Amino acid sequence: MLINNGFDEDKVQSPLHYIWSIFKRKSIAVMAMWLMIFFIALCIFAPWFVPHSPLSQNPEKMLLPPYWIEGGDVNHILGTDDLGRDSLSRLFYGLQLTLGGAVLITVCVTLLGMFIGASAALAKGIKASILHHLLDTLLAIPALLSALILITIFGPSYVNCLIAIGLSLLPQFVRTSYLFIKQELSKQYVIALRLDGATKLRLFKYGILPNILEPTVTVINRLFTLAIIEIATLGFLGFGAQLPQTELGSLIASSMELVYLSPWLVALPGLAIFSVIIIVNVFSEGLRQAIIEGES
Amino acid sequence: MLSFLQRRLTLLFITAFILTIIAFIVDRVLVASHNPEVINHQNYFYQYSNYLWHILNGNFGYSSLDNKDLIKRGLVFFASTLELCFVALIFSSFFAIPMGILAGLFRNSRLDYVIMTIAIVALALPVFWVGVMAVLLPSVWGDLLPVDGNLSLIYDVPVVTGFLLIDTLFVVDKYDLFAFIDRVAHLILPALTLSFFLITEIVRLTRSSMTMVMRSNYIQAAYAKGFSRRKIVVAHALRNALPPIIPQLRLQMSTIFSFAMTIEIVFNLNGIGKWLFISLKSGDYLVLPVGILIISGFILTFSIFIEIFMVIISPLRRSALYAD
Repeated sequence: MLINNGFDEDKVQSPLHYIWSIFKRKSIAVMAMWLMIFFIALCIFAPWFVPHSPLSQNPEKMLLPPYWIEGGDVNHILGTDDLGRDSLSRLFYGLQLTLGGAVLITVCVTLLGMFIGASAALAKGIKASILHHLLDTLLAIPALLSALILITIFGPSYVNCLIAIGLSLLPQFVRTSYLFIKQELSKQYVIALRLDGATKLRLFKYGILPNILEPTVTVINRLFTLAIIEIATLGFLGFGAQLPQTELGSLIASSMELVYLSPWLVALPGLAIFSVIIIVNVFSEGLRQAIIEGES
Repeated sequence: MLSFLQRRLTLLFITAFILTIIAFIVDRVLVASHNPEVINHQNYFYQYSNYLWHILNGNFGYSSLDNKDLIKRGLVFFASTLELCFVALIFSSFFAIPMGILAGLFRNSRLDYVIMTIAIVALALPVFWVGVMAVLLPSVWGDLLPVDGNLSLIYDVPVVTGFLLIDTLFVVDKYDLFAFIDRVAHLILPALTLSFFLITEIVRLTRSSMTMVMRSNYIQAAYAKGFSRRKIVVAHALRNALPPIIPQLRLQMSTIFSFAMTIEIVFNLNGIGKWLFISLKSGDYLVLPVGILIISGFILTFSIFIEIFMVIISPLRRSALYAD
């Protein structure tokens, strides 16, 4: 915990700083973190550097294989689809919707869920009870079903799919954060803070939040993973991104009948989803280990 | 115990009430958006009590496609979804519980890393993608296993319970066990695909629960008494580590159903997911409220029964009950 910058005085590190210094030593996790930042940057800046427009068709070059396979073209590194559209550009644009949507859902659900969970845990009586029953009911509606409901009412669109997934993931998050906070509330340091007359906000910020960091990281990781999988699933079923939007799941669905002819059209989007999830899981596992080591 | 039971049942009642309200809202909005000329101008409270009365009498409306009773068909389809989930659960518990126990016992060893890597890889493969790949298998391996449908069309199995595994046993005198074996063969690939997700969940839960138990004081006390490690694990740790997994798994139930419905669509199984999908595509919107009532109603009822069951089998939970 103590660091010495060459002076005679020892300085106390803040807990977060300490956790970060432990995290830095885990090379695989740091690599995963940079890869994650790289992927997100790729999503944001995709329109500026993709070699071709994802929608520009080329009848001369249809169903090209990736360039390292016989018959490939260096202009289309990962080949083209049945309309001559560049696979790499479509993959980047697909990643934009899948990964970007998952990040958006994760941020919104985390903030909202933390707020609801904390206020449910800190509140008493009828307010908590109403919240509980409502969430219990919402928890029982699967994501696919709520997506079906929203889509039949408002018509299929990418935004509706995000809302449906967010709605189905929110109760799970609220449930778990509520349980963590409830456990913390009975501990002695929280009671001591309360006796000091701390307001609820202060209690949450200084008493509870630092102590539920580790389970929260795990839950956010889960949330993100499920969000990616469900966005892709809804896209695959045709309830998510609509043409001409490209999304990894709908990319797989649209090249399903070409799978014998050019299997990489199905394999590559699947591989992209797979690698994003692996990277995020490795990163969050490293972070979790660092937090556990930092706390003990 | 009795007061606990009564509290749970009240809870079930209230959540079921909220569920019917949601189904009612969906029903009215669908009618209003797709069929504006039949909008009912009576007040909503009256309409709702009317709706509730119909539901309580088992009248859920009729399909606009074939004019059949929606709830009966829905329940038959839902039974086959349940069958899929149940078989997948057994499959995955068979592999995942031993893996989770080993990972929890040898935490941070090489074995633990291998098992957790398998679990993360199984999670990272999207269910529908694995399904698509599995559907392609016959082109690679030959026709080992059927990849679509619930049952081969040559078998004519009357619906008794809706669970085909049981129904095929009722027609043993007609087809011997062939219908049953055919059903099992049809279930293997979808259930394996669904168990990819379940394995991750169960490994993760078993591992963390096992680690928690091995750290607890009574295990330390057993070590101090000089018991062998094998005896401690089998007699003391497992009994306390396994039950807490069930209520945790219950929270994942809606995700599991979501994936099961996707798998049905990929494998062309006659389950509730495919039923909703096909009916909605052909414009039969009334299936949606019925689908909500069936699936969510099942999840709600089942979770409350699990909670009661947990209290009955686990002394720890019972003592927590008396503490309040």
